[in-house]
Amino acid sequence: MTGQEALGKRPLQVLEKIRENLERLNEKIEVMIELQKHDHKDVNLPLTDAPLDVMTLLSMPDHLRKTAMTLCRLGRATADEISQQTRRARAVESAYLNQLVNMGYLKKERDGRKAYFYVERDGKG
Amino acid sequence: MIGLGKIVAVHSYKGGTGKTLLSVNLAATLVKHGKRVCLFDLDFRAPSLATLLNVTKKECWLNDYLNGACEIDRVLVDLTDRIRNGGKLFVALANPATEAIRDMSAKDRKWEMKALGRLLALRNSLLGDKSIDYLIMDTSPGLQYSSINAIVSADIVIVATTSDKSDVDGTRRMLRELYDLFEKKTEIVLNKVLDVSTSAGKEITQAKVKDIYNAPLLGVVPCFCDVLRARGNTIFVEEKPEHPFSRILDGIASQIDTM
Repeated sequence: MTGQEALGKRPLQVLEKIRENLERLNEKIEVMIELQKHDHKDVNLPLTDAPLDVMTLLSMPDHLRKTAMTLCRLGRATADEISQQTRRARAVESAYLNQLVNMGYLKKERDGRKAYFYVERDGKG
Repeated sequence: MIGLGKIVAVHSYKGGTGKTLLSVNLAATLVKHGKRVCLFDLDFRAPSLATLLNVTKKECWLNDYLNGACEIDRVLVDLTDRIRNGGKLFVALANPATEAIRDMSAKDRKWEMKALGRLLALRNSLLGDKSIDYLIMDTSPGLQYSSINAIVSADIVIVATTSDKSDVDGTRRMLRELYDLFEKKTEIVLNKVLDVSTSAGKEITQAKVKDIYNAPLLGVVPCFCDVLRARGNTIFVEEKPEHPFSRILDGIASQIDTM
């Protein structure tokens, strides 16, 4: 790659980085909005690798259980795929999924522009 | 690949309500209707299908599949020859050895979470790849991990209940606090019922059930001495296809087929 080409690509890379950061920021805001809606009742300290077993599912608030159950069925999914099953808004599912990640029940990984959520059962998704 | 088959969990609040009797005979009836059926013994605390179906030599048990030690193909036993004319019958048995029961009772939450994943995977491996029409899961009574795992994995939950007061109370609680929370399609089968010989008696029973449970009634099974006399040694609907019990199971299977 010539020096000129590298210079030409740079603004695109910067823009892409800004877009990614904005997306992450947006997800965090969605989580905060959702937490406020539920009056902070479900705010738990962040945990690592908390098992998402059936007794845990039973004790969850209804709105989180629906998301967690759907993800258990699908195995690995984006917020968009979950929202198609639950018929709730993508932003709402995104907030619930991120909340479940913060609680230690789910894992999240990025594949390009998409964020995938999954239950870690055997050291992998 | 996702199949069109259904997973049915047979559960109850108390023991002795007839879950195993219903599971075995429902599976056999569906086979007689030409279906490809898998019957699972998920009662790891008191396994009974190995004895009931007289299957002794086993390489792999359902315990091993849930432990991740083998795939489901090695657990399934083909018992199609036990049913004259029909589809296919496979069973997956719980290990009845005392050591195995002890081992299953001592599992932690993380293991139970993995076991749920293994049960959920059956939708692809059995209903999908093997084109199984019905996976019937016989479970332990009450709030046991293995039973709730089965309920979460199932499309339909059949709740076997009797007229026993504590069973009625417990079943009502489970409807509200277990099946409803998981948004499961729940159907009641009232077993060991007295006084249903007349049509008026049947109507009263149906009205009572609707009032008490506020859930659909899938079937009413009277207390049959002939069933008790068989002492769990046989697949009743296969031995006595013309018996009223077999006809009731026929009706239950047909209803499930339309769900």
